[in-house]
Amino acid sequence: MRARVIIATAALGALAVAGCGSTGSSSSSSGGTGAGAGTKSCVASVGMEGPLTGQVAFLGQEQLHFAQIALAADNLVNHTKISLVQGDTQLTPSIATTVTQQFTSNTKIVAVVGPAGSQEVTAVGPLMARAGLAFISGSATSPTLTTGTYPTFFRVVSKDSVQGPQDAHYIISKLHPKALMIVDDQEVYSTGLVASMTPIFQAAGIKVDHESVSQKTTDFSSLVAKVTPATSVVVLPWQVASNAQQLGRNLAQQHKKALIFGTDGLYDKKNFTIPGSYVSSFGPDITGIPADAAIAATAKSKYGTFGTFGPPMFAATHVVDEAIASVCKSGQTPSRSNVLAAIKTTNEPTSILGQPVQFDSHGDLVSGKFFLSKINSTGQYQLIPSS
Amino acid sequence: MAFFFQELVNGITTGALYALVALGFTMVYGVLKLLNFAHGDLYMIGAYIGYFVIQWFGGPKALTIPVPLLLVIMFVLAAGLVGGLGVVIERFAYRPLRDAPRIAPLITAIGISFFLENSALLLFGAQPRIYNTPDFISFSSGIQIGSVSIDAVQIMVLVLGLLLMVGLRLMVNRTKLGKQMRAVAADREAAEMLGINVNFTIAATFFLGSALAGIAGVMSGLLFNQVTATIGFIAGLKAFTAAVVGGIGSIPGAMLGGLLIGLAESFITGYISSTYTNLLVFALLIVVMLARPSGLLGRAQLQKV
Repeated sequence: MRARVIIATAALGALAVAGCGSTGSSSSSSGGTGAGAGTKSCVASVGMEGPLTGQVAFLGQEQLHFAQIALAADNLVNHTKISLVQGDTQLTPSIATTVTQQFTSNTKIVAVVGPAGSQEVTAVGPLMARAGLAFISGSATSPTLTTGTYPTFFRVVSKDSVQGPQDAHYIISKLHPKALMIVDDQEVYSTGLVASMTPIFQAAGIKVDHESVSQKTTDFSSLVAKVTPATSVVVLPWQVASNAQQLGRNLAQQHKKALIFGTDGLYDKKNFTIPGSYVSSFGPDITGIPADAAIAATAKSKYGTFGTFGPPMFAATHVVDEAIASVCKSGQTPSRSNVLAAIKTTNEPTSILGQPVQFDSHGDLVSGKFFLSKINSTGQYQLIPSS
Repeated sequence: MAFFFQELVNGITTGALYALVALGFTMVYGVLKLLNFAHGDLYMIGAYIGYFVIQWFGGPKALTIPVPLLLVIMFVLAAGLVGGLGVVIERFAYRPLRDAPRIAPLITAIGISFFLENSALLLFGAQPRIYNTPDFISFSSGIQIGSVSIDAVQIMVLVLGLLLMVGLRLMVNRTKLGKQMRAVAADREAAEMLGINVNFTIAATFFLGSALAGIAGVMSGLLFNQVTATIGFIAGLKAFTAAVVGGIGSIPGAMLGGLLIGLAESFITGYISSTYTNLLVFALLIVVMLARPSGLLGRAQLQKV
């Protein structure tokens, strides 16, 4: 808690003074290296990969903003000079590969935060491993990423194999559908969640209509026409909230009563407000966490409204900053190998996400959890118990 | 049966949108033999104009003018501004390349497409802009026949789309400008020798085609509620496909192609699965192209030797 208050205060100060561009790191494996990263100057660069442009640029921009806030705060607290090198992946594996090649050839970069998508991690994982470059994603949740294939990969969020079953059991036990429609958006993230949820629904005797639409689709009228009166839930593990909003409107237009159960990308208070819907997310709404109030206020005043994609990126950046600071504190110059080693030993008792940050041997967050919200009749999100 | 009619309505509505955009594609191809890949982005600009008109008049929940007047302003402004933009693009990007090898204007068109898309991204941001149509046009203002729902926006899109298509057809067949367009499309040099102002005719074609894309953009915003800088890509691709299937250069062909794709998408989604929609739609189109390489209503080009 104390460390988070320090970070939050530092974030405000750093952003006020520096206008939010770089610098900063605080409590690391021990929860706060604050004493200054050694006596000599601690200089390093961190790469940031995210969809800064393209259809989900809102997501990448939010991640970038929170990475900048974390960096500014951590630099101030730790007296480090860590700078952020931005790389726009557009949530596209081929572009992420190009960005990663640029990062791996830039010897100043000692670690990377991002990329956002599981499909991108799959593409860049071997390159990162070959370069010995640690990378921490704040939103890649595919279970296949942490089976040991990508030895330098870490994530500060839990994985689909936790979220899928958790959400499926919630739907079965609390919403009691006899039939449901589950629609993937043809991305790895979405199809992975569908694959983990569908057998659970079927085992519970629920009739499942599995559909698939491109993420670029905006007309769901034909799909919604297939929602039968017996279908009481439409499950949307999607990344684009405004698409789900449109599907919700198509449901209303065709007088269908089914409610929407969405995941992660649908947690968007501005663009997804269909009353009665549920959204499960890997990140919490930090505006509801008192210890994060200052960070939330800083982010809001600087960048406007935000969702659940930014805070995990703050946590990822903070882990990297702390690792670099601890390396400097031990008298070494930050390098890819010693920063990687420091990240592996991360043990933060608390974080912006309201939970500890510690990695298992495959880079997974230990004891990661998901959060569930329900949208009330006025379109407001309310955190509810997820089990 | 109700399900069939619901999918029919959905398919025709979507198809009408595709057809409107395809008309611009086919008109430009007709006079210049140019595949204007920036055309989908003009549709996107039209959708943004519609959005900003709603905001200028108080936003969807607090409109300061009656809804019919708002709609008229949206459509007229989108048609005028996007039409004008089409003329500017033609004047400065395509006209200098009119006699260049055909690959040059094609690449320029792709460049213009990226320019427009990224300009919109910079100007309007990446967040989707939401029309919130139900806030000012209620679902209950539509028609309910049994369990088939046709909302007011769908009716408007169908009626307006049909009127525009018929109007364009009449204009091309029965007016002086239409005759000039057909003459330029048939043989630009001969048309020039007959005293037709080719530059004006091509500019007018771009204006009309782009205006239709702008109107379709507003329709899409009203129907699908959202506009982003990237919506033009898919719309352009579908419209291009519609134009080719119908017979590129043929105005009735573009209409038919658009409606065909809209209906195919709707019925495949409804009766088979959305998972296979694009696969089956494009497989169907390949079959059509194999059977009629010039498109359904296109004419085979005579080779001059």
